[in-house]
Amino acid sequence: MSVFSDGLHTKIKVLVERYETPRSAILPALHAIQDEKGWISPEAVEELHTVYNLERVHVKEVISFYDIYHDTPQRKFIIRYCGNLTCSMLGAKEAIHKIEERINELEKKSGDDCPFSLEVFPCLGKCDGAPVMMVNKDRVEHATVDKVEELLSKYAPLN
Amino acid sequence: MTHEKIILATEGKENQRSIDTYLANGGYTAIKKAAKMDRKAIIDLVKASGLRGRGGAGFPTGLKWSFVPPDDGKPKYLICNNDESEPGTFKDRHISSVNPHMIIEGMLIGGYTVGAEKGYIYSRWEFQLEIGYLEQAIKEAYEAGFLGQNIFGSGINFELDHYSGAGAYICGEETGLISSLEGKKGQPKLKPPFPALEGYLRRPTVVNNTETFCNIPHIITHGAEVFRRYGTEKSPGTKLFSISGALNRPGVYEVPLGYSLKKLIEEDCGGLKDGKKIKAVVPGGMSAPLLMPAQVETATLDYECMQEMGSMLGSGAIMIIDDQQDVVDLLRITTDFFAHESCGQCTPCREGTGWLKNLVNGILEGTEGPAAVDRIYQVADHMEGRTICALSDAAAWPAKSYVKNFGEEIKAYIEKKGNRA
Repeated sequence: MSVFSDGLHTKIKVLVERYETPRSAILPALHAIQDEKGWISPEAVEELHTVYNLERVHVKEVISFYDIYHDTPQRKFIIRYCGNLTCSMLGAKEAIHKIEERINELEKKSGDDCPFSLEVFPCLGKCDGAPVMMVNKDRVEHATVDKVEELLSKYAPLN
Repeated sequence: MTHEKIILATEGKENQRSIDTYLANGGYTAIKKAAKMDRKAIIDLVKASGLRGRGGAGFPTGLKWSFVPPDDGKPKYLICNNDESEPGTFKDRHISSVNPHMIIEGMLIGGYTVGAEKGYIYSRWEFQLEIGYLEQAIKEAYEAGFLGQNIFGSGINFELDHYSGAGAYICGEETGLISSLEGKKGQPKLKPPFPALEGYLRRPTVVNNTETFCNIPHIITHGAEVFRRYGTEKSPGTKLFSISGALNRPGVYEVPLGYSLKKLIEEDCGGLKDGKKIKAVVPGGMSAPLLMPAQVETATLDYECMQEMGSMLGSGAIMIIDDQQDVVDLLRITTDFFAHESCGQCTPCREGTGWLKNLVNGILEGTEGPAAVDRIYQVADHMEGRTICALSDAAAWPAKSYVKNFGEEIKAYIEKKGNRA
């Protein structure tokens, strides 16, 4: 029984043939898997090996090296908040603290059903919109402490 | 202040990034001119323009292209480094959003010149929005016949694809990027051999920064002399600066190289917010040593001046540290960042970045006494020039600079906190 949907198989098949070597398809294939599943399971790694002949060790080293890939199940919305210089100088620390508080409260109430998780991220490349966060693939600028709850409540209720 | 914009020519126009806007501004005429030129003549022209790589190292572009060996019937590759991972830098993101077709045209000319028929634009994952713009621009260029086989009947073949990274600072280093494009961990490779001889899949490969490519159509169309109208003798042309911090108008500014830093801050960016004052300036991305307020008064934004002042122009990423900031915290952010991003191949970097991080965090947590300040400098000093790539140096320079410029302030912090000696 395949862990990938038919659509995902079609995407990965195209990727494996798209580059000069099938190995170059590892990063894009992992992006595609994570887009559909939210994380990369051991079964997904196994399927990349058995169906697409990508070496397990090659796939696993990529998953462990890059910040974006997750090998554990994730919540619905991953907040990546930039903790670098400009964002920190313009209020990241206070906003991060506020988000942590709200996530703690949500966890007390609903445990792992809490829709948000937080990663203080090394850099998001948008310092002129500082402080910046990403919610899954959306970039959210000027996410200061006074606005962060309103910005996040667009994704899921914070209460 | 208004300046003539060359790379950001379409900025603010309606449909600024569409192929129609680019064509209406004279786009895709440089490749037609280049296609009639001898490849060596193009390299000589780029050399004469004095264009230096805009990614951070400032290496002469024409010279880089000249290292590629003659055609041997096997593939060569051309890569646009749009990874832009240096904290403080966001100009290539802005170009991707404003003028993506100029990147494509620059790559077309580069591909023809070095004999590469396949190109990749490699962007960092965080540029989700801009990756969409780039993919759309590539699609438009294919539909208009500017990419593919036998482009507008010139005999030039050039296939272009986009590749997304996955969150790793080191992939901005050109051989780290190549490793990543090969589907591996983004670990840099030992040089020599340089990518021009052995790069992607061990074939000749040229990696240029996004902004570098964007200068090429202008140079081909107008010639080296016109390009040199702006800038200084050793740093010709315009340059995009990413400037951020507590400013009234942070953003991306295209100004001539050699432009006054003070003018950029005060006039273009409208000065600091809320009456804040400059404590220090990071002039060239997080790795660049700090400029102090007295230096900011006279600094000009070019490779020579920054070097004379003991710092570097890097990727043109200017971060303003205002007088409300705590330097110990900024040093912690800096050392945490490099410890996180070290790829782990080379011992001085893998261990050194960790030691720096532990020393600085120890100061904040109260476990490190005043001796830690000198130790930070010593550790950093032993990290320089001993590794495969420049990440170790990039981690060492700011650490040394914080100690050199703010050592007394850090010691005073430790004393106030009452850390044990």
